[in-house]
Amino acid sequence: MSRRPTPLTLDATAPPAAPVEPPTAPAGVRRRSLLSAGAAALGAAPLLGACGGGDTSSSGGTTTVRVWTWYSEQQEEFPRLVEEFQAKNPSIKVENRIFGSPDQYLPALAAAVSGGDVPEIFAPHIRALSYGEAGVSADLKAELGDEFLSDFFQSTIDEYTLDGKQYALGWMAQTFGVFYNPDLLAAAGVTGEPETWDDLIAAADKVNATGKSAVAISASPSTSGLDFFLPLLAQIADDPTYYLRLDKLDGVDYTDTVVVQALELMQKIVRGGVFQPGANGTSGDQANQLFFTEGSAMLFNGSFAPQGFVLNAPPEFVQKYKVMQTPALAPGARHYTANQAGAGLAVSATSKAKDAALEFLRFIYSPEQYTKTMNASNSMPSTKSAAAEVSNPVLKQMTSWLLDGNGVPHIPFGAGSSEAGGPLATMFDDTGEPADVARQMQEAVTSARG
Amino acid sequence: MPVAERARASTSGALAVRDRRGAARLHRPERVAGFVFIAPAVLLFLVFVGYPILRTVYLGFTTWSGFGDPQWAALANYRRMVADPVARAAFVHTLAFAAVTTVLQTALPLVVAVLVNSTWRRFGVLARTLLFVPGIVSMVVTGVMWRLVLDPNLGLLNRGLRAVGAESLATSWLGESATALPAIVVVSLWQSLGLTVLIFFAGLQGIDPTLYEAAETDGAGPVQQFVHITVPGLRIVTGIVVSLNLISGFKVFDLIYVMTQGGPNHASESLGTRLYSLAFGSTSGSVPQFGYASSLSVVVLLLCTFAVVLQTWLTRRSTR
Repeated sequence: MSRRPTPLTLDATAPPAAPVEPPTAPAGVRRRSLLSAGAAALGAAPLLGACGGGDTSSSGGTTTVRVWTWYSEQQEEFPRLVEEFQAKNPSIKVENRIFGSPDQYLPALAAAVSGGDVPEIFAPHIRALSYGEAGVSADLKAELGDEFLSDFFQSTIDEYTLDGKQYALGWMAQTFGVFYNPDLLAAAGVTGEPETWDDLIAAADKVNATGKSAVAISASPSTSGLDFFLPLLAQIADDPTYYLRLDKLDGVDYTDTVVVQALELMQKIVRGGVFQPGANGTSGDQANQLFFTEGSAMLFNGSFAPQGFVLNAPPEFVQKYKVMQTPALAPGARHYTANQAGAGLAVSATSKAKDAALEFLRFIYSPEQYTKTMNASNSMPSTKSAAAEVSNPVLKQMTSWLLDGNGVPHIPFGAGSSEAGGPLATMFDDTGEPADVARQMQEAVTSARG
Repeated sequence: MPVAERARASTSGALAVRDRRGAARLHRPERVAGFVFIAPAVLLFLVFVGYPILRTVYLGFTTWSGFGDPQWAALANYRRMVADPVARAAFVHTLAFAAVTTVLQTALPLVVAVLVNSTWRRFGVLARTLLFVPGIVSMVVTGVMWRLVLDPNLGLLNRGLRAVGAESLATSWLGESATALPAIVVVSLWQSLGLTVLIFFAGLQGIDPTLYEAAETDGAGPVQQFVHITVPGLRIVTGIVVSLNLISGFKVFDLIYVMTQGGPNHASESLGTRLYSLAFGSTSGSVPQFGYASSLSVVVLLLCTFAVVLQTWLTRRSTR
């Protein structure tokens, strides 16, 4: 909801100022004047309060569009986009705000939504569908049309669709794979890319013998562990939609045979020495660091990892590392892996500046601008046209996987679903048994749903 | 009555008399002016502290997703809290964290302050500065830094242990259920030591040195002097330190959130991290649980209130 600013002025509508009494005035007059001053101060409070909040709509013929995300990957690109857009649209002012992380961003967004002052364009995170249902986010299918949406990868469209309405658009797509250091694998005597989990376990044995860890992985926070585990469900069930039903506890729950078998597979992988010690205490950055400092030969991570390598890894490492698909259950089986757009963009349904916001959205998603932005930030695009123009070879290879149907959902949108990651920690440190962990996952999710 | 105590009693009595006389001499306009002057502070308190507290208590009796109107739920959130294993674990961890940090962060700084005041006095400012430096680092930076130190593979601690041949002691400090919370307690102690030492150090300057001289003349050793002079002399300061430690322990959030986010498998979950993840994190999925989170924060509020009442009681008892 937009709100005009309420300036504090001394015009005719302002409350009268308290008269200044001379020092010699009688005590009673001084009392009245003091009370008046107090009343004026109290009366000013609502005006001061009204000065807070965002300025979202027209002011002097200029419409303001606020953009809130945590997408620091484009912290250098957004200012360029804003500048070029404003040059073409002088009546629209774009205020871009990039929060440092989802942890910093989500409370601010929740407060904005609760206060009814939603930024015109915002990253909806996992609230995308509930904000849409609540009338907070606009239906972009109705606003932008089917033709505009047709360029997006289906997986990024599906995750933000409910009852035929499109409540957000994918901004940065993501898919997961196994990054590897060819030199370390060769030194360990591993030839070729492991195709199955058994191949990976065999390769891990050889790598561990050289004193290196085989695959670096982050299971801290626990949702990172889910990024690895949830696609195993699709592999076991041979059904890429399995997790969509499990996420809603729609006809299946975590005690289902598929979940138990997936946990058994995970136990086999962990006991095969595939992961580095202490996965539960390793953050995403630390897993990356272990990989590019050559403490591990491989790394399980998402398509956002190359951005970090470009920024943090030695240049020679950036030149040599490669990526392969997540191993399959058996030779010839599908390499199901996590694939969605965790980073999306939604538009406020109630803002007076909605049209201006949609105009900015059209601009940044125009093939020329979007491709340039994604390439400059080493990000995986959500549109097919931009995917065809990806310049980073590793990202280009990973983007090609989006087209072969191996992508499966891994973002826990469902109430309490992310709590399944807690008991999963006992699989990573090999203290849990599959059937017990499956039951604990079900209890954790049910309890968190309330 | 000792001279020092008589002097203190005499001074406070005189002040009280002056206060009473001063109040009696105030004219009504001056009293009104006084109220007007404190009005902004009272207003700010009501808007930014009073109202949010009342609102949180109210929300604790509702279910609310953050949009739309809260739905009255009476005691449902509190009943759920009792049955929720994660909330129960968070409650136990919070109490344990508060208890252990209060003991450690009171006893150790007291000993260090005494050492700084006596044995280490020749190091003076240098010792106090070195001890105080961790206290000026924010909790978030502290958490990030120690997370790097405790990294299971590349961290300074494990690499050091391996370097000295103690590889068997190297572990995933923040990734193991048994070590995650203790590791955070140690970091909390490291962070808070300097400030607490400084508080005790200031308190030590208020103890009459002639008492130590007299005790030494009577043959009392350092330990006896510490037990019979230093500890009783710091009773009020200790009460304040205990209270501050209890409050910071009950509302612990930042350090745990940065270092483990309550993991692994809720092994370091506190009430603060739990209510945050329910309200703002991904725990609730697409619909935040502000009502339930508010009820957890009411429990934190009650625990902190207990700490303040305890401190007030200890202070009154000490001054009798």
